[in-house]
Amino acid sequence: MNLLDFFWMFLKGSLFSTGGMGNLPFLHNDLIGLGLAQESDFVKAIAVGQLSPGPSGLWSISLGYLVYGWAGAGLALVALTLPTLLIVGVQAIYSQIEKHPMTQNFSTGLALSIIGLSFAVTASLVNASIADIGGVLIAAGAMALGLSKKAPIVVILLLSAAAGVVIYGR
Amino acid sequence: MNKPTQVKLTEIARIFFVLGLQSFGGGSSTLILIRQTCLQRGWMEEGEFVRTWALVQMAPGINLLKLTALIGHKLRGWTGLAAAMSGLLLPSALVTVLMTAGYSAVRDQPAVQAALKGLLPATIGLSLMMSLQMAHPLLKKAYAESPLRLTANLVILGSAGLLFALLNASPMAVLLGGGAAGVLLFAIVPARARTRSVPADHKDLP
Repeated sequence: MNLLDFFWMFLKGSLFSTGGMGNLPFLHNDLIGLGLAQESDFVKAIAVGQLSPGPSGLWSISLGYLVYGWAGAGLALVALTLPTLLIVGVQAIYSQIEKHPMTQNFSTGLALSIIGLSFAVTASLVNASIADIGGVLIAAGAMALGLSKKAPIVVILLLSAAAGVVIYGR
Repeated sequence: MNKPTQVKLTEIARIFFVLGLQSFGGGSSTLILIRQTCLQRGWMEEGEFVRTWALVQMAPGINLLKLTALIGHKLRGWTGLAAAMSGLLLPSALVTVLMTAGYSAVRDQPAVQAALKGLLPATIGLSLMMSLQMAHPLLKKAYAESPLRLTANLVILGSAGLLFALLNASPMAVLLGGGAAGVLLFAIVPARARTRSVPADHKDLP
């Protein structure tokens, strides 16, 4: 397989899907089908994507590295980035129609829905993220500290990591 | 509030660079940090941020990258977009590759496992905080309008969440449905102004 085919597989996946995991079925189909990647590569890449800083959608970069080394990672990065530029056009169109009164109600409905989604996504992650009462306490503490605006988010994240080491690190 | 043109390109790149490196614990912490940065620096107010976050779900690609692109674009046009995206992406992408290369070493570190077991619940708590904070101004406005209007708001919010959680509906479909429901419901339930203006001291905290 040449690098152009490789690049197209990753580009196609991001171009015809939304969200960080939307390209998974595309890449899974193409790369496993051609025998270029194993199931275990996908498991590893997705785990790294969740562990590493930045959007978890960067898991594709990890997969690119596993399949094709540094060149694969670089191509995956470009393939992930290019389709996101389309949003500038989408926003330009949206801002044209945004002033219409009907669009304002649409826009409010949209905002309410994204908040509903945001609650639902958070709820869907609870099982995988909170294992015991310690987890519940950390979640509640982080939320309370965040709402109090007494500590920057980074500090809260660092404190919770430290709490994890203290509670679970033995 | 900062005029968008006052933000230097190097400043944009620096802010997103630091943000990209700080956001351990997956995409939730990245989103929380981007939102906090936008609000604190006066780049966007809550309503605009929520609308932008909704809009990015409607185009292809990673949502957080599209959000970053739009913020950069708003601040300094295409060069701002490039600064924001490279600031966020380059360090995170590099760390991602390095972690892939050293995966077994990282995974088998008990301290990393333990830290992650503390980080993940925290991102849940912070995501819940963020959702509440995003909902607050909209629901407060609806509450001031009329009880029916508040109900309509809660119905849209709740159904969107349930459609996603129970029926596994695609986010884009949920959002378009929510927008359509807004057009329909808010036409039927007009904002019968109770003419109760919101007191000044009730203003949202930054």
